[in-house]
Formats: sequence, C-alpha cells, structure tokens
Amino acid sequence: MKDSSANDSNLLVIVIDTNPFEWEHASSPLRLNDALQHILAFMNAHLAGRHDNKLAVIASHVGVSSFLYPKLNEVDQPGSKQQTRKNANVYQNFQVVNDAVLTGIAKLLQDPRPTLEEKDLGSSKIAASLSLGLCYINQALKSDGMGHIKPRILVLTVSPDSSSDYIPIMNCIFSAQKANIPIDVCKIWGEDAVFLQQAAHITEGIYIRLDDPHGLLQILMFSFLPDVFSRNYLCLPGQDQVDFRAACFCHKKIVDIGYVCSVCLSTSIATSSKTWRQGHCSESKLIKTQHSNTNGNMN
Amino acid sequence: MATNGRRQIDEDDEDIIDVDDSSLQNNQANYAWEEEYKRSWDVLQEDEHGSLAGVVNSLQQKAKRKRLLRDTDPIRRGIIRHLFIVIDLSSAMQEKDLRPSRLSLTFTYLEAFIAEFFDQNPISQIGLVGTKDGLAEKLTELSGNPTEHIRALKLKKFQESYGEPSLQNALELARSSLIHVPAHGSREILVIMGSLTTTDPGNIHDTIAKLTQDNIRASVIALAAEVQVLKFLSTQTKGTFGVAMNEGHYRDLLFEVIPPTAVTTTKAASNLVMMGFPSRSNESAATLCACHGKLTLGGYICPRCNAKLCDIPTECDICTLTLVSSPLLARSYHHLFPVENFIEVSWKDAGSTTACFSCQKSFLSPHKTSIQIQATTDAGRYQCKLCEKTFCADCDLFIHDVLHNCPGCLSQPRPKTDPRRAVHNGAGTPSHAPVVPSPLSGGPSRMILG
Repeated sequence: MKDSSANDSNLLVIVIDTNPFEWEHASSPLRLNDALQHILAFMNAHLAGRHDNKLAVIASHVGVSSFLYPKLNEVDQPGSKQQTRKNANVYQNFQVVNDAVLTGIAKLLQDPRPTLEEKDLGSSKIAASLSLGLCYINQALKSDGMGHIKPRILVLTVSPDSSSDYIPIMNCIFSAQKANIPIDVCKIWGEDAVFLQQAAHITEGIYIRLDDPHGLLQILMFSFLPDVFSRNYLCLPGQDQVDFRAACFCHKKIVDIGYVCSVCLSTSIATSSKTWRQGHCSESKLIKTQHSNTNGNMN
Repeated sequence: MATNGRRQIDEDDEDIIDVDDSSLQNNQANYAWEEEYKRSWDVLQEDEHGSLAGVVNSLQQKAKRKRLLRDTDPIRRGIIRHLFIVIDLSSAMQEKDLRPSRLSLTFTYLEAFIAEFFDQNPISQIGLVGTKDGLAEKLTELSGNPTEHIRALKLKKFQESYGEPSLQNALELARSSLIHVPAHGSREILVIMGSLTTTDPGNIHDTIAKLTQDNIRASVIALAAEVQVLKFLSTQTKGTFGVAMNEGHYRDLLFEVIPPTAVTTTKAASNLVMMGFPSRSNESAATLCACHGKLTLGGYICPRCNAKLCDIPTECDICTLTLVSSPLLARSYHHLFPVENFIEVSWKDAGSTTACFSCQKSFLSPHKTSIQIQATTDAGRYQCKLCEKTFCADCDLFIHDVLHNCPGCLSQPRPKTDPRRAVHNGAGTPSHAPVVPSPLSGGPSRMILG
C-alpha cells in the first residue's frame, strides 16, 4: 500500500454471490438480472479507468465456485474475442467481459444442481471464491516482474455467513493481509456478514451494507471504484464497530473473558462447564492419540 | 554446456585461480556439513536443442516442492510457544563471509524472522539474549509484542560486537526465564553462533543436562562450522542443528524454526488459559492509553480492568490478562489441520488437464512436448487427492505455504470422503466464530474443521 503510485495498473477480482436461493427469494428487493446490469457497468468503468487495468470475475454459487472471466483456456488468447459477434458500437473489451459474465452465470443457473446436503443450501462458496481469487492474484503478481500490478478483491454478497466456512475464510483473510490485498465487501442486502466484515477490517478494505439495493451502482462507483492509490486521498466509509470476540463453545454466548484450551484452542466461559469439558477433551484426546500413533509408526 | 566451458577456463588459468576444482570433485565431502551438498551441475543433461532451460526449470520446481512435502497428519503441536533467541555478539560476528557481515545479516534476518514468527504463532512469546565479552545480556524480556523486539534489534548499543561469547551464561540466562513458563507452553531456545569458541564459567555439560531436565529444546544455527558442543547441545535437547553455508541457506535454517513443532512429550498437559477478548472502541474525544500513556482516539478495552490498549495481542499492562482476538486464535488453526500434499501428475496422465484450476494458467500440452523434454522434465501438474483438481507448481506452493486452503475441495459440495472432516464432525470442535445471526439449521458457532 505504501509504495503504490498513480502509474500502477489495477487488478480487480470481483466475487459475485450468485446464490439463487437468496436472489430469487420472495423478499429480495433486487433481481439478479437488474443487479448484473449495475455490476457490468461497474466492471466496464473499471476497465475504462486505465488501458492496462485487469479484471477477473468469479461466481460464488451454491455448492460450486468458478471463474466467469477469464475463462479456462482463454487466458490471453486474442482468439476468444472472435467467438462473440462483434458489435461496432461497443468497445471490444467491454463486450468480451459482459458476454463472458452473462453466459457464465446463465450456465451456472441452468446446470442441474448437484445433490446438496441441507447445510449447503442457503450459503454460497465465498471461501472457495476467495481462494481462487488469491491464487489468481498470486500468479498475476508472479508473472509481473515490475511490481506494477496492484490487486484488490471485491466481494458482492447477499448470502448469510456459512459457519462451516469460518476457518477457510480466515485463512484467506490472513493470506490477503500478508500480500497487502484489500478485500472490499459490499453486502447488497440482509444482515451484516460478520466474517466478511472482519475480512474488510483486517485487510484494510471497505465494508458497506447497502441501505437501498437499488442504489448499487452508485455505491459501487463512488466507494469501490477508486484504486488503492487514490484511496489515500479520499475519505471512504469506515467501520465503527467490528466484533472480534469469541463465542463460547458450549453456550454459544459471546464472551469477554474466556478460558482457552492450550491444545485445541477452544474457548469456554468457565472452567467448570461440563459439556464443554467433554467435547473439548475428546478433541484433545483425538489429537493426542493421533500423535502417539504417528510416533509409534516412526519408532 | 556453459558450466563445463567455464570450468575449462578455470583449469587453464590454474596458476592464477587456486581453488582446485578437481580435488573438490574427488573428495566431495570436505566438511561434515557439506555432505548433503551435491554438485547439481553434474546431473544436468542438455536437450536436443542444446538448451538447459527445461532441465533447470524442473530442478527449480523440485527444490520448491521439497519444502512442501511435510507431514499433514493432524498432530498435536505446541501452539503456545516461548522462544529465547541467543545471539552471538562476539568479535567473530564481524567476519564478512556472509555478506555484508555475519552480524548485520543476522539482524536483518531476525527482523523478518520475528515478524513471520508472530504471524504464524500469534499467541507465542519471544525473548532476545545477546552474548559478548564473556557475558550474557537480555536484550528483551519474553513478550508477545513484535514491535518491541524489532525496536530492540535496531538499537545501536545492541549491535556492537566484541570479545568472546559465553554459551553457558546465555543458556543459563534463557533457562532462568523459561523455567517459570507454564507447562502448557513449549520452551525453546534458538542459538545463533558465529564463534567457534566459548568462554564459560563452569561445565557446559551441566547446563545441557539441566536444559534436558527442564524440557527445554535448544536448536543451533552455526555460522562458521560445526562445533561439537553445539551439536551435542541440540541433539541432547532434541533440537535441530545446522551450519549456514551461504546467505540463502542461513535464511532457510532460521525460518525452519517458525512452524510450531510437534509436542514430543505426553507430559505437557492441556491447560486452560484465561484470555480476554477486548472489543475495539472508537471515541470522539482522545483518552490516554495504558500502554504508552499517549492520547489516542481509539483502542481495545480490557474486559477485566477497562484499561485502554493500543494494539492486540498483548498482555494488559494493568491486570496482566492475555488479550487476544478470535481471528488471532483462528490464525493458528492451519498448523493443526494442514492441507494434504498434492501428488505429481506424470506426463502420460497429463493430457486430460489443460489449465491450472485456480489461476487459469495453461499447462504445456503433452502432445506438443517432445519425448526428450518429457523425459527430463515434470509435467508441472499437481493434483489434490481429495478433489482431483489439478494445480500448477506456483499454486501448489502458494496453497501449502500461504493460503492453507484447497480451492478445489472448497468449491465442491462438501466431500464426504475427507477423513479429517469426518473425524472432526463427531468430536467437539473448537469455536471462535462469532455468533452468526444466520437462519442456518445448525447451531450458529458450530463448525466443521478442515
């Protein structure tokens, strides 16, 4: 962040939450199609910002996560442009991106859904998308010897947090923080996404929960379009309160002062909590037995 | 071959250049610590165009992957660590065999080491001990605050080096602090020794016996040569020993200490540690912080004594409660549950994949690559055993070293074959997830590890 300059090209990785259960929900204030119009306009604005600005779009769907742009096998191939019919009135790059994203999402939605366990429903694969995005950025930074690419990630989400994704998301956050990649989060509607709120806070990105989803484009343009360099000079919305407290394992209560097991790092309100002791002990026992097994094998 | 050519010239000018290459070849292991060192250029074979690029690439990839293949079993590790770093500050550290000098290189590396150490071991503590002129001096006390150590390393007065080091004094000093450490934390000493000698007030073997008895693990990095007493120290205390051959190797040796080691004794009990989870507050008017006594606008409020502190993790300056945040605890999880090693895909199975799953980089097609090149190189594809997705070498490295997530496994519907997941489903799972206000059917903070 410190050594960014005005001449850097920006690599923006956009993660779009395409979870149909949320988008097509009766109470959803905005249709996916309408939202996509806003998002495509934003993508084009990003590409128009500089001639060497780069873009990657990842769909975070229910059960799967995949690249929408650039598509597999079409990286840096000028031939991919010819697949789409040319429209003389549209800047080529815009059309390629728009077509790729629209067809990609249509394909995702048409695919017969893989059999899903119940707990998979209702949440999208944000952790997987972030992992894909980070790998893509890692490769892009590697191939750019000059260090002129400034990457950032933007997550557009509607789904609630999936608690099973906690550790993968945390791992993503820490690798992003290490590489100085800000993760911006735009929660289009619904409750605050706690994990992603932490992601934005830790990586010094922006977290915004929209008051009115119909103003999506405006928020995207004004808050998320500025690159890492210009953000130094702008006053962007910050977060006043981020919850970093842990939850007690047995009571599910948020604790201020807790007891942490030195082996498995589980937290509890009190040392005497019986249920937690049992659960926690089985955890430590598990790790211990596996450890003694490996020892036995080595000897 | 370029290297051959150069060696030829060297032999022609043998009067001028007195490094006798041929004798090196006859007696490869001149020194004990060089035994593992192979003359890698002897195994190089040119391909049909007389180019070495392909072979060199595959050698580089092999070297990269060598560091990757590690134990992925979920074993118990000492997550809460207490490490003393003993730095030799004797006149031997002024030698310039490591550029720019042993001392300044050590300080540069240590700064990076400390940052990385706390990144991977967020609830651990480090202390620094320097030894010179026959004495040992504590540069910093055991503390979990990286900035404090880095500041101490930058102080001019600690960077002066003269006299002889005293290994025994330094070890005793570190031991005296480490024996007060509670049993759930590991006790470790890392000795960085440039000198070949040590001036000790008593018998060093007594100290080594005491270290073994107190369950302190001592690892040694020697900068000059293998010294018997240092090696003995590390083997007795189950530590590691290494001699730095060059700058890069020195760095590798140092950074090997960072991942938490498996707990070898069953004695180490699982204790409960009291920790505070402060919440961050923003204030409209500046108040004094407890740690620096400065006026600040925001900070973390200690839940026990309500003191305001600038940063976590730390110990509360007022009530000494350990203050952490839930993400910090989560940061240690990847040590407990690492990503499975990927397997290499051979050229004959390579046809089915055309691009890396995670970064979209296209692979070399086996149909377009000649047999000769295939014989000397790898296909550059690495496959996850669980999700059967294929990754390139760069992503393989990134996934195992930095990310600790397999993007393939994550972007599938939850696999039922993952043994770790299956095991942890049943057992109690630790939880730091903040309570998620979600309509999910499961309990909000119950989660599945993996």
